[in-house]
Amino acid sequence: MKLFGAEQERVLGSLYGAEAAEAYGSLLRSLSVVLEEKVSPLSLALDQGKGEIKVPRRVLFDQGVCRLPHAGEFGGMGVSFGVYALAMELAGAADASTAMSFGIHNTVAEAVATFGSAEQKGRLLSALLSGKKLAAFALTEPTSGSDARSMHTTASRDGKNYVIDGSKMFITNAGEADLYLVFAATGKGHGAFLVEGTNPGLKVGRALKEKLGMRGSHTAEVRLVKCLVAEDSLLGKEGTGFDQAKRLLDSSRIVMGMICIGIARAAYVKALAYAKGRELFGRKLSDMQITREKVANAAIETSAARLLCMHAARLKDVGKPYSSEAAQGKVFAAEMAVRTCDAAVQLLGGYGYTSDDVHRHLRDARLLTIGEGTSEVLRMLIASQELERER
Amino acid sequence: MNIVVLVKSAVDEAELRADPSGHPVLKGAAVKMSNFDMNGVEEAVKQKEANGGTVIVVTLGGADAKKAIKEAMAMGGTRAVHILAEPPAAPDSLATAYCLAQAVKRIGDVDLVVCSEGASDTYQGEVGAMVAEFLDMPFIAYARKVATANGKVRCEQGLRGAVRVLEAKLPAVVSVVSEANVPRYPTLLQVMAAGKKPIEEIPVASLNGPDYPETGTEVIDITIQPADRKKLLFDGTPEEAAKKLVDALKQEAVL
Repeated sequence: MKLFGAEQERVLGSLYGAEAAEAYGSLLRSLSVVLEEKVSPLSLALDQGKGEIKVPRRVLFDQGVCRLPHAGEFGGMGVSFGVYALAMELAGAADASTAMSFGIHNTVAEAVATFGSAEQKGRLLSALLSGKKLAAFALTEPTSGSDARSMHTTASRDGKNYVIDGSKMFITNAGEADLYLVFAATGKGHGAFLVEGTNPGLKVGRALKEKLGMRGSHTAEVRLVKCLVAEDSLLGKEGTGFDQAKRLLDSSRIVMGMICIGIARAAYVKALAYAKGRELFGRKLSDMQITREKVANAAIETSAARLLCMHAARLKDVGKPYSSEAAQGKVFAAEMAVRTCDAAVQLLGGYGYTSDDVHRHLRDARLLTIGEGTSEVLRMLIASQELERER
Repeated sequence: MNIVVLVKSAVDEAELRADPSGHPVLKGAAVKMSNFDMNGVEEAVKQKEANGGTVIVVTLGGADAKKAIKEAMAMGGTRAVHILAEPPAAPDSLATAYCLAQAVKRIGDVDLVVCSEGASDTYQGEVGAMVAEFLDMPFIAYARKVATANGKVRCEQGLRGAVRVLEAKLPAVVSVVSEANVPRYPTLLQVMAAGKKPIEEIPVASLNGPDYPETGTEVIDITIQPADRKKLLFDGTPEEAAKKLVDALKQEAVL
């Protein structure tokens, strides 16, 4: 499967101009060749629990994907967020678990780059962008996912330190990560804390292996038991943690939406190849009107999802508000991916149902109507912004 | 060490489409650096890394050949010379070799010219030898190992059941096979930097000297050979069918 093609290049051209499409087109084409050769072939084994995610993730780090949207000072490439978003579509098509693990890591890198002190940036950014350190984003709790503000994890002052206590749930990269961005309630609102994976107060619970999809990535509970961190572990000012989380999630939703588009394309390409070869009633499956409707719908929906997410990316790049657009893109892309992957399973019939190389895409896509903001909570966010606008 | 690497912008066979008459649709077809040239570039860059110096990427082609140039630059080329020849003015192998040799002469003071065994689209495998002839340099073909030292290049050729080692005085032209090396994947940073490296453009007409060779060959027709699926069914018990399948795959040289 060719991961980068004219459809992405045209979107890049229409949103960022012909010059950018040419310059960054070659960048993404080069990345797609590497992903096709080094990541896609590992994807099925990862789903089957036979591979190590660190191998394909290292390919993304070595290629410099993490560096794309960051400024040059600490080794970033200073490229538009839209180019990074398209790179994440390619990564999602190559392997969804790897892309998600990588995307979440880079959200923490963005947190340090955006809210970190000069000392925190100097200490962490270079290692995060090169992948020398892997990061995890610890916001969700066993009883507060969508309602993140009601978190029970607390951070209390203890002289020049903070003591964090609580539990974080469904944490991607848990157990593997060298650095955890932990959100906790403080006396003055919320704070985001950079906690080293080696901190004796940070304990990783049982790995959640019975997941429907995204089986290549590591997910677990993270418990914080009298977890002592120095005061310079606080990211930005005390009391701003919840706003930081909201901003980071806006950005991350664009990335997760783009990963959904990659997942949908991976399934759709397999179904298309099957439809072109399979004959029934003396005709190719691909020549039947009912199949063509499915093909057309998949093409329309992936393009629409890409445009929505890339529109949000463009707004982010030019410094305009994009919170609602990112949520719209993520909701649409995640639900589109579920529909498209389901249609692919249907088109492949018994082979789709019995082959994990087909239904794994549907299982992977299913996470993203839940993770990084459920479709329901994102619709609440979109609706409140719409109502606010019309007031 | 000044190293020239010759690359070709070839049709991307993965993207090639046929028209209803079975002819490839070449107009507007996607192009990329010929697959085999990746080994050529890798070898040139390896030599540069071992001996110091520069790698100058030289190609002949239309505006779309820039893509191949950038790929080679991302892999480690220092600068490039692009002989601009838009179709239908694109010359045949002999005239191409003449133009490439002229460009190498213009660069001057070249120690080693590296090319690949052939192009991934037409695979005629002629240009390297012809360039050597026009430059009056020794030529070593199909090298699977290349080493330079003391003003000489020593290459290893894999023959059927034998290995032949050849040595030539520099400057020389060497064509490498895909066993010679594993081409590196440029990082995104290197791809970005490649866009900023200098490319000198030379119109093909400016190389048209009095000894410009006459076109010796003419392309009469190109058709795509369809590779139909065989759709073989093997009967018997699962063990028997599996054995027949393995035998058939061996027969097709897949195993």
